[in-house]
Amino acid sequence: MSILGKNKQSRKGLNIIIVGCGKVGSTLVEQLSREGHAITIIDRNPKKVQELAGLYDVMGLAGNGASYSVQMEAGIEDADLLIAVTASDELNLLCCTVAKQAGDCAAIARVRTPDYSKEAPYLREKLGLAMIINPELEAAREAAGLISLPTALEVNSFAHGHAELIQFKIPENNILSGMSIVSMSQQSPVNVLICAVERGGQVHIPSGDFVLESGDIISFAAPREAIRSFLQHINMKTNHARSTLIIGGGRSSYYLANLLLQMGVTVKIIEQNYERCEELSTLLPKATIIHGDGTDADLLQEEGLETVESIVPLTGIDEENIMLTLYARQVSGAKIITKINRPTFKDVISTLDLGSVIYPRLITCEAIVAYVRAKANSMDSNNVETLYHMFDSRAEALEFRIKQASEVTNIPLMELSLKKDLLIACINRGGTIIIPGGQDCIRVGDTVMVVTTHTGFHDIEDILNS
Amino acid sequence: MNLPIIRYILGHIIKLEGLFLLLPFLVALLYRESTAYTYLSLAVAGFAIGFLLTRRKPENTVFYLKEGCVTTALSWIALSLLGCLPFYFTGEIPSFTDALFETVSGFTTTGASILSDVEALSHSSLFWRSFTHWIGGMGVLVFLLAIIPLSGGSHINLLRAESPGPSVGKLVPKMKTTARILYLIYLAMTIIEILILFVSGMPLFDSVTLSFGTAGTGGFGVKNSSLADYTAFQQWVVTIFMILFGINFNAYYLLLFKSIRQAFKIEEVRWYLAIIAASTGVIFLEILDTMENGFQALTHAAFQVASIITTTGYSTLDFNAWSSVCKVVLVLLMFIGACAGSTGGGIKVSRILILFKAIRAELTSYIHPKSIRRIKMDDKPLEDAMIHSVNVYIATFVILFTASVFVISFDGHDLITNFTAVAATINNIGPGLELVGPASNFGFFSPLSKYVMIFDMLAGRLELFPLLLLFHPRVWKA
Repeated sequence: MSILGKNKQSRKGLNIIIVGCGKVGSTLVEQLSREGHAITIIDRNPKKVQELAGLYDVMGLAGNGASYSVQMEAGIEDADLLIAVTASDELNLLCCTVAKQAGDCAAIARVRTPDYSKEAPYLREKLGLAMIINPELEAAREAAGLISLPTALEVNSFAHGHAELIQFKIPENNILSGMSIVSMSQQSPVNVLICAVERGGQVHIPSGDFVLESGDIISFAAPREAIRSFLQHINMKTNHARSTLIIGGGRSSYYLANLLLQMGVTVKIIEQNYERCEELSTLLPKATIIHGDGTDADLLQEEGLETVESIVPLTGIDEENIMLTLYARQVSGAKIITKINRPTFKDVISTLDLGSVIYPRLITCEAIVAYVRAKANSMDSNNVETLYHMFDSRAEALEFRIKQASEVTNIPLMELSLKKDLLIACINRGGTIIIPGGQDCIRVGDTVMVVTTHTGFHDIEDILNS
Repeated sequence: MNLPIIRYILGHIIKLEGLFLLLPFLVALLYRESTAYTYLSLAVAGFAIGFLLTRRKPENTVFYLKEGCVTTALSWIALSLLGCLPFYFTGEIPSFTDALFETVSGFTTTGASILSDVEALSHSSLFWRSFTHWIGGMGVLVFLLAIIPLSGGSHINLLRAESPGPSVGKLVPKMKTTARILYLIYLAMTIIEILILFVSGMPLFDSVTLSFGTAGTGGFGVKNSSLADYTAFQQWVVTIFMILFGINFNAYYLLLFKSIRQAFKIEEVRWYLAIIAASTGVIFLEILDTMENGFQALTHAAFQVASIITTTGYSTLDFNAWSSVCKVVLVLLMFIGACAGSTGGGIKVSRILILFKAIRAELTSYIHPKSIRRIKMDDKPLEDAMIHSVNVYIATFVILFTASVFVISFDGHDLITNFTAVAATINNIGPGLELVGPASNFGFFSPLSKYVMIFDMLAGRLELFPLLLLFHPRVWKA
């Protein structure tokens, strides 16, 4: 295998067409153009197209993205991938259907309406789509994960849910503070690995002699069943919240309530619109639906803001969600999860100490970027399977599927010349999670999770010093 | 204003010019001319200055339209200042003002000269003079975009500031690939012209320099008689290539990579060819009596029309002696100019087209005040903002034009001389009429007038606003 073919510069970007320049569309443009792909954007609104084409190295086209002639003009024949993220589900599906016929490309559609999203696997298969994304559902999944483990700030699962990456803040006087990573893993009853630490705004990929302090936000990887015993060992709460108050009754609230009810959590939803309340009560017979203004303090008190174990403000307005979170933090000790739609003020928001924050559009983008990186590699090489951005995109966690022997396989990790600021967090070998030590090897058939502050890894060999 | 990134790009431009200066150095070595040392030392100096400026990469690479415009304007000024030094230091053009005029005229592909005896220049200087046309034609920043990796995505703003035409688009999604495709087409066409001219019996040096002048639609010749002394076949070759280089390069991209039908569908290109055919016809009929035969009349008519509309400025005879109908046609062609997205100057066919469509729409609105009719171009509705910007462009053009004519009129020459001198410089053509006709030069103007015309040439090449922006006080604040 030639070394040259693997180096970063020679890797050709994909030809990608993005239809719809809304919030998700423009975040995708930003991410994917930074990764060096040739991108053409299509939107009905010429102003939006012009704006984005002036900001990023992309070509713009104004028109209806589902029309054959517009797609031809955008170069669908040479495209590798079309991503349809307009506001309308039907239009997105139509875009993809046309694209599949007009060009030989993969297609990704955003589908948000619950009616279709239940049928997503069917639609995906019948229409031959590469992926159907549903930001609201993904956000709800992430929120549900957090409610089941309230201590965590972020929960990301890998290896088909066998392993998880858990982020939490070390409280004052915790036994971890003042402890080095080596002594922590010696004392811990189960195998965990601390992959990244944020301290004073800096993200570190820690080595063995790194000493933890209280106030650090740490992220650790562990097999699913080991997580609770580890957290118990360091005296953190591990039981899931038993009740949830959701403020706002939109699509994400429906998805979240559905997931929580399956987990056995009692759910209360406050929604302003009477008809929507009726709809919700038909869809979610087990949930308590309250018709009222979620920003009314008296109503919140009456509905038990102070006693409920978790609160999720899910109104359509970011500012309202943030204010509700800040208010709730003052009067209650519950686990609070804030959903933010526009990441523009991310930096300010991260200083507010809101606790867990989820950004649906970033979740969507992560999934698509992971897919694109995998596609940019040839099909049989060692592709990116999952990608998460950690600590405001300052670090990435990637899961690679090892399909063939390469320069990293069958060599003990300690003998590999790895890049700095990089850690092999866990190896999934047929469902068994290995937290690797220096003696372990990567084998063909594994999936390997890597945490790094480098960006843009496409292939497992990117972990090596070039 | 992000000054570090402007400094960084300027540094690259100067470094690049240092490299370019090595070419005339090689020519000087070939012809054993003493100018070699001047070119070599300036090349080294340019490279050193550029190296110092680009040593530190700016942390902030944010790049908006105003940075794009300012960088482009400053780059062109820096390019001209360094580029004129060889003429000055070798003593071939003893006055600095004249040397600067000649160089700006070269880079902006004007081709207006202050030299009365071109043939007295050394080969290396003649080569450099013509090479400035070639690099100025497609644009030096486009060249830069094609070769250096600039991070970030907003470099469309550089292309927008440097490429001629009301709307600048990319051929392909990536800036770098677009710039490369443009230069490849440009280079290939230039080489084909050089080969044809060389095979037809023209000396290699003349083939190369004349092809540079044609490709950039510049107009500097290497003989005092411009193109009058070459064969009719060679004149026709140059005529055809001038017309080809005046066509929107998008058409060539479509021709090469998409379909021929799409290429011929571009409205601007059709009108451009129609205007050439019509003007040639009128002049052909007017001069038929004065020529030996019809073929000669056609040769001269076509050559002059192509030379003026593409804003090249070569000539095969002194058209100042023609009838006034011919001269009026030529002056009109000066203002129309070539296609947007070509190497030519002038107001551009597409702007004139939009203007006429807007006039028609305005007339319709008098007859049916409530009628709605979107102005279309290439079957696509035009944004109101585009029509507005064309109007403002033409208004600004008229104001700058009038002011320039006023200032240079203090030299005391006749109105036609003043009018066509400004027209020939602001539209990047070269020769005008009367005292600045094809048989004369611009050397007799006062230094003030020369600086006015230097400004006009730069303003015309950069489409007015990038250069005017330099004079807006708020650009330099915060």
